[in-house]
Amino acid sequence: MSTSTLSLPRNRDGWRAPVALAGVLAALFVLPVVIDDAFVYHIFITICIFAGLSTAWNIVGGYAGQLSLGHAAFYGIGAYVGMMLVNAGVTPWLGMFAGGGVAAVVAVAISYPCFRLHGPFFALASIAFLEVFRVLALHFSGVTGGATGMMVPLETGWMWMIFQDRLPSLIIAFGLMLLTLLVAWGLRQHRWGFYLVATRERESAARSAGIGTVKMRLLAVAISAALTAMLGTFHAMYLTFIEPGSVFSLTFSIQIAMFALIGGIGTVFGPLVGTILLVPVTELARGWLGAEAVGLHGFVYGSVLVIAVLFMPDGLMSVLSRFFGAGPAARDDDGAGATTSAPSRTQAQRAPIGDVVLQAEHLDKHFGGLHVTNDVSLTLRKGEVLGVIGPNGAGKTTVFNMLSGFLKPDSGRVSIRGADGHFHSPASPGDFARLQLGRTFQIVQPFAAMTVEENIMVGAFHRHPAVADARRSAREIAHRMGLARYLDDEARGLPIGGLKRLEIARVMAMEPRVLLLDEVMAGINRADLQEAIELVRAIRDSGVSIIAIEHVMQAIMSLSDRVIVINSGEVIAEGAPEDVVRQEAVIEAYLGKESVDAAAQ
Amino acid sequence: MEIVLQITANGLMLGGLYAMISVGLTLIFGITRVINFAHGEFLMVGMYIVYLVTTQLGVHPYASVLLAVPALFVMGALTQKLVIERLRNSDEHVQIFATVGLSIALINLALLIFGADIANTPSSGLRHSVGVGTVGVLTGQLVIFFSSIVLVVVLHLLLTRTRPGRAIRATAQNRAAARLMGINVSRVYVLTFGLGAACVGVAATLVAPLYPASPTIGTYFVLIAFVVVVMGGLGSITGAFIAALVIGLVDAFAGYYLGSDLKEVAVFGIFLLVLIFRPSGLFGARRNLSHVSP
Amino acid sequence: MSKSRSMFRYAAIGLTSALALGAGAGAAHAEVKFGALYPFSGQLALLGEESARGLELAVEQINSEGGVQGEQVKLVQGDAVDNNQAIGEARRLIAREGVKAIFGTYSSSRSIAASQVAELSRIPYFELGAVAEKVTSRDLGYLYRTNPTAKDMARTIVDMIVESVAPELGMDPSELRIGIIHEDSSYGSSVAEFENKYAEEAGLNVVAEQAYPASTVDMSSIVLLLKEENVDVVLQTSYQNDSVLFLRQADEENYDPKAIIGGGGGYSMEPTAEAVGEDVIDGVLDADFTQYNVNPEFAPGVKEFVEDYKAKYDSAPRSGHSLNNYAGAMALLHAIDDADGFGPDEIREAVDAIDIPMGETAAGYGVKFGENNQNTRAKMMGMQWQDGELVTVFPEEAAVSELKLQD
Repeated sequence: MSTSTLSLPRNRDGWRAPVALAGVLAALFVLPVVIDDAFVYHIFITICIFAGLSTAWNIVGGYAGQLSLGHAAFYGIGAYVGMMLVNAGVTPWLGMFAGGGVAAVVAVAISYPCFRLHGPFFALASIAFLEVFRVLALHFSGVTGGATGMMVPLETGWMWMIFQDRLPSLIIAFGLMLLTLLVAWGLRQHRWGFYLVATRERESAARSAGIGTVKMRLLAVAISAALTAMLGTFHAMYLTFIEPGSVFSLTFSIQIAMFALIGGIGTVFGPLVGTILLVPVTELARGWLGAEAVGLHGFVYGSVLVIAVLFMPDGLMSVLSRFFGAGPAARDDDGAGATTSAPSRTQAQRAPIGDVVLQAEHLDKHFGGLHVTNDVSLTLRKGEVLGVIGPNGAGKTTVFNMLSGFLKPDSGRVSIRGADGHFHSPASPGDFARLQLGRTFQIVQPFAAMTVEENIMVGAFHRHPAVADARRSAREIAHRMGLARYLDDEARGLPIGGLKRLEIARVMAMEPRVLLLDEVMAGINRADLQEAIELVRAIRDSGVSIIAIEHVMQAIMSLSDRVIVINSGEVIAEGAPEDVVRQEAVIEAYLGKESVDAAAQ
Repeated sequence: MEIVLQITANGLMLGGLYAMISVGLTLIFGITRVINFAHGEFLMVGMYIVYLVTTQLGVHPYASVLLAVPALFVMGALTQKLVIERLRNSDEHVQIFATVGLSIALINLALLIFGADIANTPSSGLRHSVGVGTVGVLTGQLVIFFSSIVLVVVLHLLLTRTRPGRAIRATAQNRAAARLMGINVSRVYVLTFGLGAACVGVAATLVAPLYPASPTIGTYFVLIAFVVVVMGGLGSITGAFIAALVIGLVDAFAGYYLGSDLKEVAVFGIFLLVLIFRPSGLFGARRNLSHVSP
Repeated sequence: MSKSRSMFRYAAIGLTSALALGAGAGAAHAEVKFGALYPFSGQLALLGEESARGLELAVEQINSEGGVQGEQVKLVQGDAVDNNQAIGEARRLIAREGVKAIFGTYSSSRSIAASQVAELSRIPYFELGAVAEKVTSRDLGYLYRTNPTAKDMARTIVDMIVESVAPELGMDPSELRIGIIHEDSSYGSSVAEFENKYAEEAGLNVVAEQAYPASTVDMSSIVLLLKEENVDVVLQTSYQNDSVLFLRQADEENYDPKAIIGGGGGYSMEPTAEAVGEDVIDGVLDADFTQYNVNPEFAPGVKEFVEDYKAKYDSAPRSGHSLNNYAGAMALLHAIDDADGFGPDEIREAVDAIDIPMGETAAGYGVKFGENNQNTRAKMMGMQWQDGELVTVFPEEAAVSELKLQD
């Protein structure tokens, strides 16, 4: 799922894409008007409705990556609310917003408990909700008209959205589609769009960047549901008749999602492209094959779907974007920094070590019967580098998870001195991030489908809410970290050393005061190691306090002001690096008891 | 009291039916993590095979198991080999839609070949009512119920006592580790898919004499099957069996006391509650839940 | 400039006429086009096509008699596979094909969606087979319906209970305990609604009502409920799968009501009888469109229809839908033949004047449009499965056999 392709190409020869897009949109409106044929109007109105529905779905299914197969529920809510209000004498222009509002509320209410569910499980939950809605709509016939459905009186005119002419219907359908596209495009350009994609790609990294992942998902669901419902109201007026079976339909939900998939899930204009291609093709196939034999058309449709998915799993947009040259073209704004991969060192003088900025007291944590950390206490002073060492499985990362809010200790507490000078005890990763604590992950957590620049921007938003500022800041950091020449590449393509740097760059973009580094030196080669050490030193010199978990002794010894050793969940030693490594308990912990005896002889 | 006993009996029989159909899906979904929307259509294909064999050759419906099981095994294995495996590195959305496409194609293929009418497999005495006192069930239902137990036991032994079974379990636990241990993961997946589909072949053989086959018969079963599998806990075959009985009982009691139109609300409502409050399933003991965020 | 523009326009039309399902044929002399809008593909295709065959046979017959107003009728097909598609096809037929009227539609929801397009375009829309009341409930001026509806089905069922079933059982109708079960889509729900209404008016005692999804795989709880309530007469409105399921499960749980009355759907179909077996289906009653085992004196032309059908399609009619579409279409086409042109208002005037008494169409019932342009003389027939065949037993003038109940 490639999100960045054609979202809006920034390179200079990318003018073709916007022009093509404008041409397609214009054709959608102009063609039926020129041809002036009722059937052609109908086809284009259908395209507009489905393109709108599919684009709205894509906000949840694509951006947020939550595979909803129950979107017909929101479409149905829009249709029913709109129609009930019309029957009560309220114009669908108001009904549309009422339906959108109800759908947004319902969407938030049913998605909130499901936010922990991913992939297939979210999909199943959404199907279950849809089924429940359908059965309830059938059962409460007093409200919904039950199985026999609901109709509107055939009063024509703009007031009732029913027309003798076809042009007004096209205008509304086209307008709603434009609105949906605009919202989808705007969202993708906005900070929230970055947050959504980041949440989809790596939820924990997103949380550590201070993103309220649940809130973002709910926002996406609410926007998507409201747009879907508004289209539902219009479509109900266009059909003048709705029934639970055809409105709350799983087949319909799947169809909406399918258009997005064929076009390119997660891309802004993929759903539009998918719909423009598939609606006419479906009509054509039905015309050619439908009369031949019952089932033949469906069989071909299903088979083509499988084949399309097999050969174009990334959708039409990935094929199109190759034509429109939005690929990883060379950037011309790299400047000299691009040619050298070496991080440019800031020559700041190291400030003296100051007061305590972070304090962990008596942290205890059990996993089941396992006592992973036992009474761990530590302090970190301003401008200090604290090294944390210990054998694998000692509980170091668990300590980090408690220091950054990912795990709640069973007892004990973590407090951080805020910018206001007082100590706070934050509860969630977001709260920690707001107190300017940043962390990296032992296993790098890049937002794979985003470009390097976008990855860093996710961190930069923390300090620079405006997209332009965040981008500027991200570029600057990328230069500093030697990532400049990768700016437009998707993160998934970076070598491991680049990923490690990206991990730090994203955190640095948050401009943290406290930085938790989890084995950033592991797995990088000797040449890069010295660079990395320099890099951390430079960060320290800019006034950031650092706790680093590390196995690479060379790094620990040269960087740390102080080292603590954790073994079996307990702090077994603490002190200056050179003193600590000589302690018997430490050698024993690392190398086993025999080595200690051997060394003593 | 009589009525409660009869409802319980009906619920258990229904549960046996659901278990029969879901066991295969537990294997497939629990291990490959692919929502196979075509699972119901596997059942449909199996039932048409039984229908054809029985009516064309004039044999007892149960004899067609000899054809239905291998045919379904091949069908499942091919689905994995030719479709799912090629999409292994794609988004999970993509895999789901591939199976949706497969499901649409299969339903319409059946429509093309057999028409929309029901196809009726001879019941060969399996619709004979047996019972104690006023409580009665069909012989065919009893066969399904006990066969589902046998199937659960056999699969359990297969997974715990044989080499391929252990490979399947290891792959389910940790794909990467399994690969490191020299297990051919993609072959394990093909095997799992085939095995799961073969279970559906057994189910089809037993179900066909009791229910008329039609192109859309699978669509009702597939949702219930997913409910059962998720409730039972991922990949837990005994869990799925118990969940199937629970859903069968809920179905029967809700149908009687709530009304048949609302029983789906009860079934899906319980499913949603389980998903939300116990995403690991009622009987899932695995701590490592890849589908729940940290 | 204008030339290039018209070139573009021409090309665009060429492009999109590919969408038009390739149905445009060159206009022949003295030919008038009517639309045939049915679900020809999708889930409803089987009976949609069956319905369309009735219309086709009617048109063939009219054409061989010299056409309408001296012009040959050409049917243009439209495929109403879902509600949105029904609208599109109605628009295509009207705007592209220039049909003078549309005939259809079998499915009620497709009919409601498509007739609205016709109404706004002022093109007559003739419904020959959809049964939901809502089709004719919107004060449309251009929509006519010839066939009996869900209401008529319920009427016939209740009449049959009061006039035939209760006397046959030697009981007072009010003594009978009635249970109503139905699938939960539009068809089952609307029939059940009117069954309730008429049963109450007739003083019948309805003791249970249950809706269920047609795709259900288990109806044991419904059987139990009916058994518990000691229901004597079960009214089921259902499709095929659920008819089979209920009849089987009732039999297996030894539930033997005094009478089972189906409302069309699965109860009128041969495969249902085959699936449950002759011993179970025998004696089961059914109300539906006129079927083929009907007194030919009451339904003149039904034998000829069956012969024509077999000659054209090489099989016996699969349900009564074709016959009813045929009868309705014949009445309408004859009326249009008498009109003064093919303008919508001429057609309306001619159709409004139709006055065919009972017993003079191939479906038996007469044609006379009343309130909301619904045929006031449309009637459903009562039938019974006897010795493996569905024979008409109600009303008496249409019957070919007597209604028989075992006890």
